Amino acid sequence: MELTGEHRIPAPRKVVWDALQDPEILKECIKGCQRLEKIDDRHMEATVQAKVGPVKATFEANVEIVDPKEPEGYTLTGEGKGGVAGFAKGSADVKLAEDGNDTILTYNASAKIGGKLAQLGSRLVDTTAKKYAADFFSTLSEKLSVAAVTPPPVAPAAEAAAPAAPAAPIVEEPMPEPDAAGRVEPSAELIDEGVSEAENAAASAPIDSPHFEDTIETQLEVAAGRRVWGGPWFWGILAFAAVILVLIALQ
Amino acid sequence: MGVQGIGARLVRKEDQRFITGSGRYTDDISERHMTTAVFLRSPHAHAKIASMDIAAAKTMPGVIAVITGQDIIDGGIGDLICGWMIHSKDGSPMKMSPYKVMDPDTVRYVGQPVAMVVAETKAQAVDAAEAIEIDYQTLPALTDFAHAMDEGAPQVHEVAPNNLICDWQLGDEAATDAAFASAAHVVEVDIRNNRLVPSAIEPRAAVASYNAAEDHYTLYTTSQNPHVARLVLSAFYNVAPEHKLRVVAPDVGGGFGSKIYIYPEEIACLFASRTVKRPVKWTADRSESFMTDAHGRDHVTKAKLALDADYKFLGLKVDTIANIGAYMSLFSSATPTYLYATLLSGQYNLPNIYANVKLVYSHTTPVDAYRGAGRPEATFVVERIVEVTARKLGISPVELRRRNFITAFPHQTPVLMNYDPSDFPGLLTKALEVIDYDNYPARKAQSEADGKLRGIGFSCYIEACGIAPSQAVGSLGAGVGLWESAEIRVNPVGTIEILTGSHSHGQGHETTFTQVVAERFGIPNENIQIVHGDTDKVQFGMGTYGSRSGPVGMGAIAKALDKVEKKAKLLAGHLMEADPDDIVIENGELKVAGTDKKLAWHEVSLAAYVAHNLPEGMEPGLTEKSFYDPANFTFPAGAFICEVEIDPGTGVTRIANFVAVDDFGVIINPLVVEGQVHGGLAQGIGQALLEGCVYDDAGQLITASYMDYCVPRADDLPSFALDHLEIANPSNPLGIKGCGEAGAIGAPPAVINAITDALGTENIIMPATPEKVWRAAQAARPQLAAE
Repeated sequence: MELTGEHRIPAPRKVVWDALQDPEILKECIKGCQRLEKIDDRHMEATVQAKVGPVKATFEANVEIVDPKEPEGYTLTGEGKGGVAGFAKGSADVKLAEDGNDTILTYNASAKIGGKLAQLGSRLVDTTAKKYAADFFSTLSEKLSVAAVTPPPVAPAAEAAAPAAPAAPIVEEPMPEPDAAGRVEPSAELIDEGVSEAENAAASAPIDSPHFEDTIETQLEVAAGRRVWGGPWFWGILAFAAVILVLIALQ
Repeated sequence: MGVQGIGARLVRKEDQRFITGSGRYTDDISERHMTTAVFLRSPHAHAKIASMDIAAAKTMPGVIAVITGQDIIDGGIGDLICGWMIHSKDGSPMKMSPYKVMDPDTVRYVGQPVAMVVAETKAQAVDAAEAIEIDYQTLPALTDFAHAMDEGAPQVHEVAPNNLICDWQLGDEAATDAAFASAAHVVEVDIRNNRLVPSAIEPRAAVASYNAAEDHYTLYTTSQNPHVARLVLSAFYNVAPEHKLRVVAPDVGGGFGSKIYIYPEEIACLFASRTVKRPVKWTADRSESFMTDAHGRDHVTKAKLALDADYKFLGLKVDTIANIGAYMSLFSSATPTYLYATLLSGQYNLPNIYANVKLVYSHTTPVDAYRGAGRPEATFVVERIVEVTARKLGISPVELRRRNFITAFPHQTPVLMNYDPSDFPGLLTKALEVIDYDNYPARKAQSEADGKLRGIGFSCYIEACGIAPSQAVGSLGAGVGLWESAEIRVNPVGTIEILTGSHSHGQGHETTFTQVVAERFGIPNENIQIVHGDTDKVQFGMGTYGSRSGPVGMGAIAKALDKVEKKAKLLAGHLMEADPDDIVIENGELKVAGTDKKLAWHEVSLAAYVAHNLPEGMEPGLTEKSFYDPANFTFPAGAFICEVEIDPGTGVTRIANFVAVDDFGVIINPLVVEGQVHGGLAQGIGQALLEGCVYDDAGQLITASYMDYCVPRADDLPSFALDHLEIANPSNPLGIKGCGEAGAIGAPPAVINAITDALGTENIIMPATPEKVWRAAQAARPQLAAE
């Protein structure tokens, strides 16, 4: 399986480079990451709870940074073992290019999957990897640009829209998660059963986009679950309106 | 119900319990103190096991034992066997590698069992299996078996260099070459027979129970041949002496061949039960079925046909590479050789045939007999090349077949078989009538007016059923005889039990077998019961596969009925003071011909058991058995015609009409036979259009669920039009030929011939999915694509 992608990160190259070496930042950016340790400059170990279609497992991942060329890029190789759920292994070339104050990150990954992951999840791996990658860069971009961002306006509307917006530009290409856990086995989160179900629906949908209208819905469901602002009926109407707005914007 | 004899359309009595969910399958069986087993399986297609750590798993909650491959070897359990020895053309025996229950050193396919956990509950066993630490050193895997013999290809077993198990041949190569040298026309085709997953509705399962007090074992399992399982388990695998092992195959939900074999899991369950001294149950989940039930087919073939100037066949030459998978399963050597190349003459006068089959290992699940077993592969070769030849030479496929049909019987082919009488031209003529061939051009024109492509395809198959006589198969290398046994046990009150070595796992024996007895004595079917599938009850048997329950199993019943009839007549003659030769049995009564003297059936049976007044020297009781070995294979044959309609815009193929006209010999129950044909056609059409088992380059099975492996559904199939010729088989007492596999054998070439006819292309690789058909349709019509 071959995956490529390109992302613009609103931070200077050196900052991005450092972030990609920082276990604490990586851990926070990889959803479902329970543990991430830097063994030495070249090796990392991670424990990631991942879910691909019907396959759910905790992966023990080993990642090696091969051939680092600070700050232009490096190659990652790695392997993740998910016990009876199977395994994933592969490598990714990551390149960082400067563009003004931003950094353009490109990657080119190849991966192999095996066991239940291949048997039951193979057709979902592409979409799932893409989605988790989008999540990763979304969080990373947010973290690196946080200083420049003004505090969000009023309450609930921003809460709903903010996470969806950064997801949108990231969508174009399929990809694995390029760093830390290293290759394709996606980092999963499972914050809430409702969220994971919504993601499932999105991942198994045939269309090659991460469905950010779904993401909005998910966010709204979570908020609704907390009974913010009058409870589910209010958020249901808002969700409907938001999805319609997104669909109109897509025309 | 009354008396329903041979030919009656009797509704299957077993269906009542099957469709109301009251069948009793292996997984329904529970014993006191039963434990559950789960197998840890390799996620790699080829790897060395550098280390295995079971310490953590052993201490998990509920775990009773963790059993490794080494434990099983140390326990004296033998390697799995292949029951049919074949030889290469240089005379050397096939190169079979050891096949361990769980190989402690190396794994060779994804799903191969590496450890077994026995726990109080399944959930505990699953959790513990996950705690087993295995360090695999992965190695390159071979999945593209067509290149298994290439220089540098990964090697599956040391014992088989270049992965070649056997370079087998049949027929006269020199004579066939000479025929080609003199030919006016030679036509070649390349064929791929796609790999299939058996898809029995009930996964494999076992309940193994060792009773230490009696030092006795019972194995409940999903087997098509429990007696053979017992023999092999005791004689070769040493799990228990034969007299201390009872094997029961209760209701079994389909097999299609995949439940003939004795697999590692069933052996391991018996071993585990002895180890933990408690009953052990294992039931495969659907993923395990996909990964470990023996798969079917998987051939690549180059074939060429020689014809003279009058389009008469002169010779056929066939080169096949057959994938055996990672290990040699029980019948894996016979399926692509003696069950395949012996049928390459089809329904045709073919004076010269030469077949070369190379059996190769690969890092995939073992491949063995699957509904039809070798004969679908042979039929596909013959019927595809005949169709391609007809189109190339510009002669109608019907006419080309008619010119070459065998019409005189018995007919000796150049590939061992001696055909019993049938009527091949008659079958085709009837099929043409049923499909209304004269109006086909009008239907084609209508399709074209609707923007659709219509095609028609023919398939005239013949198969060899019964898989007997024993002496013949023995001379070809079979490890066992292939007769069948029956016992007719007439109870004192006149009711009858049929004890049969055949095993029903969907075939309807409980209905059809009673019809043979009801016919003979004129007693009601509800007074007749079959007993099968239990080695403690039934004398012995070779089981059910190769459409043998009819010709061989019911043949044995007929022979036992002869003995019962003879004894009943002797006794009735004695009781009525008449010559036994004058006794006739009609409507449940024994009558003295030409008089009004008679005794009811139950009066005679009771007299046999009270034994107050028996003829001099007669033993009491009325029960007889037979071990029946037929004189020849049987040769069911048929003509199938398939009409397809293709939407060139989507590539979707709709089967518009499908006609099957078969000669199954004498038909015991037309309703059951039609059901068998429907099921076979569904599987054959499934192979042609939908089903294909796919491994990736690393040996991962990526069609491992019904999400990715497509079996036919009702709306993929038309209403089939069936008809029959009943030409009695001379080699068994009831004249039966067998019907279990015909549909799966004859359907794939009919469908592919129809699709290629519609598209105007020479070939399309099965399964002909909409994508492939769409691409072929686009390529075949460039002028339309350009518009």
